[in-house]
Amino acid sequence: MNVIKKEDTGLVIGIPKALFYFQHNLLWESFFKNLGCRVILSEDTNIEIMNNGIKLCGNENCLPIKIFHGHVHYLADKADIIFIPRYMSLNKNEYTCPQFCGIPDIAPLNIGKDIRVIEVRLHLDKAVNITVDSLKDIAFHLNIDIKEVATAFIKALDTHNASIKKDEKAIHGSSSSEEGYSHNIVVLGHPYMIYDRYLSMNLIKKLNDRKIRVLTSKNLDYNTKRENAFPFQDKVFWEIGLDNLGSCFAYTKNKSISGMIYLTPFACGLDSLIIEFIERRIKKESTMPFLKLTVDEHSGEAGFDTRLEAFLDMIS
Amino acid sequence: MKLTFPHMGNMYISVKVLLDTIGIDYVISPECNKKTLAYGSPHSPESICLPFKTILGDMLYGIQNGADTVLFGGGCGQCRLGYYGDLQRVIINDLGYDVNFVFLELGEMSFKDMIDKLKPLTKGKSMFTIVKSIILAIKTVFFTEALYDFSNYTRCREKQNGKTDIIMGIFHKKLRDTRGYSSIKRLIKKTKAELKKVELKKDFIPLKVALVGEIYTLLEPFANLEAVKKLGNLGVEVHNHISVKFWVVEHFLKKLSPIRLKNKPRLAAREFIKVDDVGGHGIETIADTIGAKGKFDGVIQIYPLTCMPEIIAQATFSEIQKRYDLPIMTLIVDEMTGEAGYQTRLEAFVDMLERRKQLQEMDLVNAKSGMSELS
Repeated sequence: MNVIKKEDTGLVIGIPKALFYFQHNLLWESFFKNLGCRVILSEDTNIEIMNNGIKLCGNENCLPIKIFHGHVHYLADKADIIFIPRYMSLNKNEYTCPQFCGIPDIAPLNIGKDIRVIEVRLHLDKAVNITVDSLKDIAFHLNIDIKEVATAFIKALDTHNASIKKDEKAIHGSSSSEEGYSHNIVVLGHPYMIYDRYLSMNLIKKLNDRKIRVLTSKNLDYNTKRENAFPFQDKVFWEIGLDNLGSCFAYTKNKSISGMIYLTPFACGLDSLIIEFIERRIKKESTMPFLKLTVDEHSGEAGFDTRLEAFLDMIS
Repeated sequence: MKLTFPHMGNMYISVKVLLDTIGIDYVISPECNKKTLAYGSPHSPESICLPFKTILGDMLYGIQNGADTVLFGGGCGQCRLGYYGDLQRVIINDLGYDVNFVFLELGEMSFKDMIDKLKPLTKGKSMFTIVKSIILAIKTVFFTEALYDFSNYTRCREKQNGKTDIIMGIFHKKLRDTRGYSSIKRLIKKTKAELKKVELKKDFIPLKVALVGEIYTLLEPFANLEAVKKLGNLGVEVHNHISVKFWVVEHFLKKLSPIRLKNKPRLAAREFIKVDDVGGHGIETIADTIGAKGKFDGVIQIYPLTCMPEIIAQATFSEIQKRYDLPIMTLIVDEMTGEAGYQTRLEAFVDMLERRKQLQEMDLVNAKSGMSELS
């Protein structure tokens, strides 16, 4: 009820539907809603957003970062403030891609418009207190009491955690014979690759249409993933790297899985290491079919489909 | 036991001193060249950065020439360099070699960890010898650095082009067979004396260019296609802040010292990036570029393709150029880089800097004469 009371901050917060959004959409959306702000999201990625992003962003960046710029550009005129969190470390010993540390600074620089950006910093490995500091910053910018911001954040965190639990359970309970699925295929990759329908060329839907159940790293619980993350169990590594390594090797033990697809953007620094670990180990220790699909802004959908079809023919 | 270690620019000189003094046998691969790359790249992931491939090549050369232990130190922050070791171990084992690995992850390590990791290497050696050899090695780092700095000074000013290169070439050749701290020190001194004899142009003020970027590509002449030499021969004085000395001071000496100093130049980067670490030396690149204003005519950034921290740094450059009126060029290297195109870009950049300088001087003269006419 106190949400209605606070509806009058009147500020419109824009959240770009890219990168972090696919992991933590609920967390940030509910955080700002709890604060009584109006939240608008950018559109799903489309050709216009992609082209804008490519124009604005440096040539060397990977496609997801370019597309992120397109989303921020889309929001620039529509929102008062754009929210870009700064993820540095998401857990003990788990870091993010360096691009995530720089993106709240880089995006406004590249876009060149006068954009107001607010950020929440997460560095859970070494400095938890900087999250608190950044929440204070938000309290200052939005002119809201810090205590309210803190409670809103904790509430949002609960919502987020509840949804993660639901995702894990969703697939665990059911077997492959249900709902007419004939095969199980694991799709690996960064969440912002595989869940962005435009970037992934609708990979998940294409598989579902062919009566194939798709499993991702979302469907495994945290501990399983970390225990299987060869050779980085308990070591410092990238968070997404641990997720993918862990899910890959946990799923290879599962007999009901017929194949794995790793979707990677061209020139991804993390994937260059991760995929090599996966390919080498899978070759040595199992017979799991493995397909690596690389996409960039020049990828044609026809070629993509052909490779996918060839892989699926091989499996069935 | 026979040790091998990968190259990083002139670092091998100090490592040589270290191992000679402790008394460990070692194999050094030849200075990085096309062959090194040909050794390494077939076994490397396709989209990994260039240093991985040459470092793997160095290791494989060493192993094929009798080494049974690989020593490798590297990586800080979220840069891939810190994870090279784990993958290289897997690759080398897959190739069927059974060797030991000693990886020093300098970013996360305490002094005690380091001694523990080095223990198997220094079996039967007294603590005194180890400490002494570390001190001598660090001294060598400073000597070598001074020699290289001096060669950069003479190269752009010499009357007869190529003299410095000849002297440094002889230095490298002789270094192969020189062992032990005192003889290496003597060689460095002798080379410096030779460099002092090189005839220099009088009243010549060279352009000054700062090199910034990824540490390995900056230090390894093969990786940056000898940018230092090429620029020097174009009459440009080159400065490189990210050197072996910097690496030793930053990641080794400062780690050991109990006093934590505020890193002032690094803080300058806060203007653009509001964090302390974006992995690798990304923040240093930005800070050094900002610091180059007023001291240098231009900045050249060099990094291997797909290097994540440097891509972030590069994104700030358009704004730095605008705010600080400082020309910056970015060169990205990988194994496909063509030398001719590279040379052309360096020449064009130098031409542009020269013209800029001329125009600035003319403006100054005009302003002065304008003033005198007015008065």
